[in-house]
Amino acid sequence: MSRHLLRALPALAFVLCSGASAAPAAPTIVLGASIQLTGPVANTGRYYRDAYQIAVDQINAAGGVKIGGVPHTLALKIYDNQSDVNLSVRQYTQLVTQDKVNLLLGPFASNFALADSAVAEKYKVPMVQGGGASDQIFSRKFKYIFGTLAPASNYFGSTVDMLKALKPVPASVALLYADDAFDVSVAQGTRPLLKSAGLQVAMDERYSTNATDFASLLSQIKSKKVDAVLVAGHETEILNFVRQAKSLAVAPKLYSFTVGVPSEDFRKALGADADYAFGMTAWLPSAALKDRWFGDAEQFAQAYKAKYGYDPDYHAASGVADVQALVRAMEGADSLNPQKVRDALAKTRFDSLYGPIAFNAQGQIDLPQVVIQVQGDKLAEVYGAKGFITQPKYPMPAWDAR
Amino acid sequence: MDLLAQILVNGILLGGLYAVMAQGLALVWGVLNIVNLAHGAFIMLGAYASWYLYTDLGVDPFLGLPITAAALFVLGYALQRGLLNLVVRAPMFNTLLITFGLEVVLTYLAQLAFSADFRTINPPYAGDSYALGPVTLPMARLAAFGVAVALTLGMWLFLLHSRLGRAIRATAQNLVAARLYGVEPRHLYAVTFGLGLALAGAAGGLYGTVSQINPYIGATLTAKCFAISIIGGLDNPLGVLVGGLFLGIIESLTTLYVGPTFADVASFGILVLVLFLRPSGLLGRAA
Repeated sequence: MSRHLLRALPALAFVLCSGASAAPAAPTIVLGASIQLTGPVANTGRYYRDAYQIAVDQINAAGGVKIGGVPHTLALKIYDNQSDVNLSVRQYTQLVTQDKVNLLLGPFASNFALADSAVAEKYKVPMVQGGGASDQIFSRKFKYIFGTLAPASNYFGSTVDMLKALKPVPASVALLYADDAFDVSVAQGTRPLLKSAGLQVAMDERYSTNATDFASLLSQIKSKKVDAVLVAGHETEILNFVRQAKSLAVAPKLYSFTVGVPSEDFRKALGADADYAFGMTAWLPSAALKDRWFGDAEQFAQAYKAKYGYDPDYHAASGVADVQALVRAMEGADSLNPQKVRDALAKTRFDSLYGPIAFNAQGQIDLPQVVIQVQGDKLAEVYGAKGFITQPKYPMPAWDAR
Repeated sequence: MDLLAQILVNGILLGGLYAVMAQGLALVWGVLNIVNLAHGAFIMLGAYASWYLYTDLGVDPFLGLPITAAALFVLGYALQRGLLNLVVRAPMFNTLLITFGLEVVLTYLAQLAFSADFRTINPPYAGDSYALGPVTLPMARLAAFGVAVALTLGMWLFLLHSRLGRAIRATAQNLVAARLYGVEPRHLYAVTFGLGLALAGAAGGLYGTVSQINPYIGATLTAKCFAISIIGGLDNPLGVLVGGLFLGIIESLTTLYVGPTFADVASFGILVLVLFLRPSGLLGRAA
């Protein structure tokens, strides 16, 4: 082999290699988030990781995000905050300052969103989050936080409407709530609703987050013969609440929970004991909710279940809407500039599989909550904006009469 | 009045469960001078073992308790022989570090194995109750209470009257003298830690029949067991039973009269008071 040819080989290789990658890779837009993948709230945190991932995959498959006529690919940078708020704040700071992600997606839970949104605000990088509903998050005149959960203060709104429409109307109501940002907001919003509905509040009790023993509260409910019990708490607490209600033979006419009832895992853990439990959701997978990327909410739910092996609930739909809102805003701004995306977010309006997305001046959206109830092995829609959808199973019979 | 009676009964039944959970922690602490920060995580393991026995093999949770306890005994024996004996005479800080590390490892292994999903051990009778006049007695809690008392008495008799029990107490009191009498401390330490974990395993099975299980319940349970051991004293199992009952009743009464958020304040307030007034516990020998 001639020396010239030998010398030419590396050059030839270089030409061949660069030829193979001649089509330049699409530029990437990185969305950053810190999520509870481990730790006590990992059970709900996974909805957000899974929702972000399926949304990003779907949008990329459909050609990505077109900015300035150039298609961009979406990528995720996700940290596990181990259910630790302080770690979560540090991770968001790292996402913005070290990793230089383009835009932020939110964590799960109000207390996290409350702390993490301060990072978004400080560095002026918009965060769209679908995991925090507390009104506190949006009452601080922050400009860079947007939320896709219905306001916590109105979580029980439709439930209170339903209480008035029930026959017989419950003579007394107990309001129990955990002492964290979300549940305190729920209680603050529910109190005036109960008052204006003319319902007598027999108990109004705040309990410690992660409480495991509800025997004393349940005994009071029984002793005061409370008809309707509204609990704003976490799934672990509500599981214990229901099990202990059964073991103490406490059966009010109705009980309703802010969380748990829509999630498959909750119903699985309680089995037949979940029957009659009321809850609420701002989202159910209906074909009426049209979507640009998934077709509609029903198709989304099928794709989600096929990919992850469990049913999506409103957390998942809300997470998908977060990614979509950012994509719409980037397209609307035709830019990746965080300030321009922020302004576009404030104006964005679109229909998604989660419902109509439009942020108010504080950055929150409003979606009506539908009252749902576990009826046998089904989750039934019971009460919505137009009144009863299906007949509720009410009053709840005594535990030994089921 | 009926409500007060019910609240007291709730407190006593809760206290029994507390006591059985704390029994193992107090034993290991009293004899080995190891504050086992992983104790709650072992209770969690016991709960999962019980859950697995019930849902996959159909073993009744109460009948499964000896199996769970035996499995954790073996685990405890091995851990002490292989790991903790290395630090048994090291400064307290080292044992705290090692047991804290164990807690983290166990918690995350549990999440890997079982995911963060919630589980319940839910045999058909778990929700049954007896009515005693105006007072409702939940059957699962009553049974848990019975087991707690039986285990406490069993432990007490064992430590006081069996040869092995006396050897354990002797080692705790005077290692050199115990050695002279032919006690082999490394084996004995391992037996003690094994017993501590066996108790945690049984407690976990009982806990799972009244509460939900997830990989993260350990840390809170350790804190509670810690408080009960201090309040009751480490000297004997009866003290731990009294500590548990005391705490259960106080928490229930606080919930009724002051408010549920104050239950934890009350229990840790009492812990501080006991440390101040009776550092060796309610039933412990005065220091």
